[in-house]
Amino acid sequence: MLGFLSPQSAHSPNADDLNTLYWVMLVIGLVLLVAINGALLAMVMRFRSARGREPRRLKVRRPAQIGTAGALAALAAVTFVLGVIETDNAKQVEASGPDGLQATSALTAQRSLSLPAVSATSAPLEIRACGQQWIWRYEYPDGTYSYYELVVPVDTTVVLHLCSTDVVHRWWVPGLSGKFDATPGESNSTWFKADETGDFDGASYAFSGASYAVMRTRVHVVDVPTYQAWLQQQAAGIQEAQNFVQRALGES
Amino acid sequence: MSDGRTLAPQRPELVTEGPAPTRPRWLEMVMSSDHKDIGRIYIGAALSFLVLGIVGFLLIRLQLAIPENDLIEPITFNRLLSVDSATLIVLFALPFVFGLYTYVIPLQIGARALAFPRLASLSLWLYVFGGAILYASFVYTPPEAGFNSWPPLSDTVFISNNGPDVWIAGVGLTVLGLVLQAINLAVTISRLRAPGMAWRRLPTFAFSGAVSSWTMIVAGSAMVAALVMLEIDRHFGGVFFDPGEGGAPIYYQHLSWIFFTGCYLIFLLPAIGAISEILPVFSGKPLLSRGALMASIAAIMPLGLLAWMQNMMSASIPIGWLYGAMLMALLLAIPIGAVFVNWIGTIAGGVLRLRAPMVFALAAISTLSFGLIGELIQSVIPVNWLLADTTASTAATGYVLVGGPVLGGLAALYYWFPKMTGRTMGEGLAKPSAALIVLGAQLTFIPLFLAGLAGQQVDIFKFFESSDAINAEHLNAYNLIATIGGFILSLGVVLSIANAYVGIRRGVPAGHDAWGGDTLEWFATSPPPPHNFDVIPDVRSDEPLRDIREAVRRHDASRATPAETGEPVA
Repeated sequence: MLGFLSPQSAHSPNADDLNTLYWVMLVIGLVLLVAINGALLAMVMRFRSARGREPRRLKVRRPAQIGTAGALAALAAVTFVLGVIETDNAKQVEASGPDGLQATSALTAQRSLSLPAVSATSAPLEIRACGQQWIWRYEYPDGTYSYYELVVPVDTTVVLHLCSTDVVHRWWVPGLSGKFDATPGESNSTWFKADETGDFDGASYAFSGASYAVMRTRVHVVDVPTYQAWLQQQAAGIQEAQNFVQRALGES
Repeated sequence: MSDGRTLAPQRPELVTEGPAPTRPRWLEMVMSSDHKDIGRIYIGAALSFLVLGIVGFLLIRLQLAIPENDLIEPITFNRLLSVDSATLIVLFALPFVFGLYTYVIPLQIGARALAFPRLASLSLWLYVFGGAILYASFVYTPPEAGFNSWPPLSDTVFISNNGPDVWIAGVGLTVLGLVLQAINLAVTISRLRAPGMAWRRLPTFAFSGAVSSWTMIVAGSAMVAALVMLEIDRHFGGVFFDPGEGGAPIYYQHLSWIFFTGCYLIFLLPAIGAISEILPVFSGKPLLSRGALMASIAAIMPLGLLAWMQNMMSASIPIGWLYGAMLMALLLAIPIGAVFVNWIGTIAGGVLRLRAPMVFALAAISTLSFGLIGELIQSVIPVNWLLADTTASTAATGYVLVGGPVLGGLAALYYWFPKMTGRTMGEGLAKPSAALIVLGAQLTFIPLFLAGLAGQQVDIFKFFESSDAINAEHLNAYNLIATIGGFILSLGVVLSIANAYVGIRRGVPAGHDAWGGDTLEWFATSPPPPHNFDVIPDVRSDEPLRDIREAVRRHDASRATPAETGEPVA
């Protein structure tokens, strides 16, 4: 019912933290909003007509002041603590899950030996996401790269190192963590662990000039074998293209 | 003793009107260093820029009414965006409230002039020329570097034309002028108060003027410094904001956000001050907990300014600083909440007169509440990561822009217009105008908030079809409704501007004390003479005019001739 008030559904543990806190803050906000506007409206309706009354010349009401200040201070304290906890949770990089990249090969080996699955402590997949006017370039650990579309294996922790080759860009794919700046000369990173295969659309969220609106991106989440196959195919494709260019240059 | 306004019959009737002017009236006004002339030109220029800002805003909303619209070229859109946001913030909102301050504050504190009259004249013309430069750029190269002209985008490498220079010059001169005016007002308030007017007895509007001025001195100076450095980077071989050369773009981000955070506070503080004056007058009872309210106004400034990194939650800043900014932003809930509670407490038990200023003040309170709560929601870092840079955050800011300088500023204008001109603005246009603004703001900003939840970016020249967009279903509808709302909102604002324009000559004559206010400006005639007051009264409380009325009543009663026992006019 409240779907329209919902942020994009979370597909990564840290995005879950973001959405949880969003709902908490939204409820607090809506309660305050109804209280203020309700009280305002009620007072205006009630005291609108004169009816020969004399207004009360009330100047101060100290207990109400202290009560209000106390309640608001408590609100600020609680939301601050919640904010710190959820921020901390969201920044805590989790390990890849059982269906994730490096864990999978180990898991198949262990299954054949009928041993219990080890906890997935494999190193995360580290990818560089470089913004440039007006496209995102993704560089994979093996040197392969892709533009616009980031292909990652499901249930695998991906740490994105953000970089920019020109102006300030800001990476965000709703449902997979929050927004992070790619500023030239600064290092910044975020992470996500996609919980299902599929396409997640995102964009750049920092004004970057003429074609800012079309600077979009997509995270294409696939299962591990598909990812590995894609990686080889992409590497081969890049090699082929480079060979072609070399030949063309040689001929000319 | 003809108008019953005086304390004693021996009031000096001979006043210094000076020789009759020989120059035309407009030239007198342009060359004037009287705070009332300067304030009126400030207000008039700000409202003119508001009309231009509305035109730009409507063009932007038209472009975004339907997906993948080709109405406006991308580059034209970016130019419109850069000029329009500067117009609404720097050329409308700040000068409008500083114009109101310039006009009203010397009268409220019982001063005969500003501390530095000629400096006020300089600041005004810096602003007017700054605005003129920005708009003159449309005949050659308008700026296109976005609403805050961040480097590296605004550097010559990426934008080699003169657009960003124009933006730097226009915004820089205006902000420099406003900083000078803020210094002027701060000194005026601290040095030229009438005898007996302690800080705690300052009218809330004048007090908010002091706090806004200090805010502007801090925030505006940061912006002027940033713009000078940016210009040195662009044309004089500087590396202040060059990555890898000892500088960093993030320095500019900090400075510009300090400024825009200051602007946000100046959207808020004058509205709080004006509403806190209007509510008691139109409820017939004193402001509830004046002391707490003034303390809240004072507290909003440091907390708000220290929360500037609230806008930079996605930047690579050590998380401890971001926690600090989050704490400051959340602590703002205490003073702002206290303000709302005291406002509602002031209305409660009163006898409300729903005249135009009161209607606008109530509309402002409601609209501000939406914006401030929207801001509270995204004050915590995780929610900020979700909502920042989407139209959801624009919506929260937009509510405050409409609730503060537009509705709050118009409430102040409706309230003090009789003082400025001797006439009231028409009630007949006022109420439809307020209703249209409130309705239009909701119709614009609720859909924009929802579109932001669906992931729509700020500042884009087009958005994509729902099916293609970032998982959003109703994006088309949201944008279309927001555009319709924008037109309704704009119509409401234009109605009030027209009302003011008509009211200058055709308004109903209002008398010297149009609303029965308790502050000193109503002691002067409407419009006041160049020296404001013949006699500057001793101030004994925070309601000096009430004391004066009491004194007059007692005085009249003691002389009790049948003709003079009636209610005094003032």
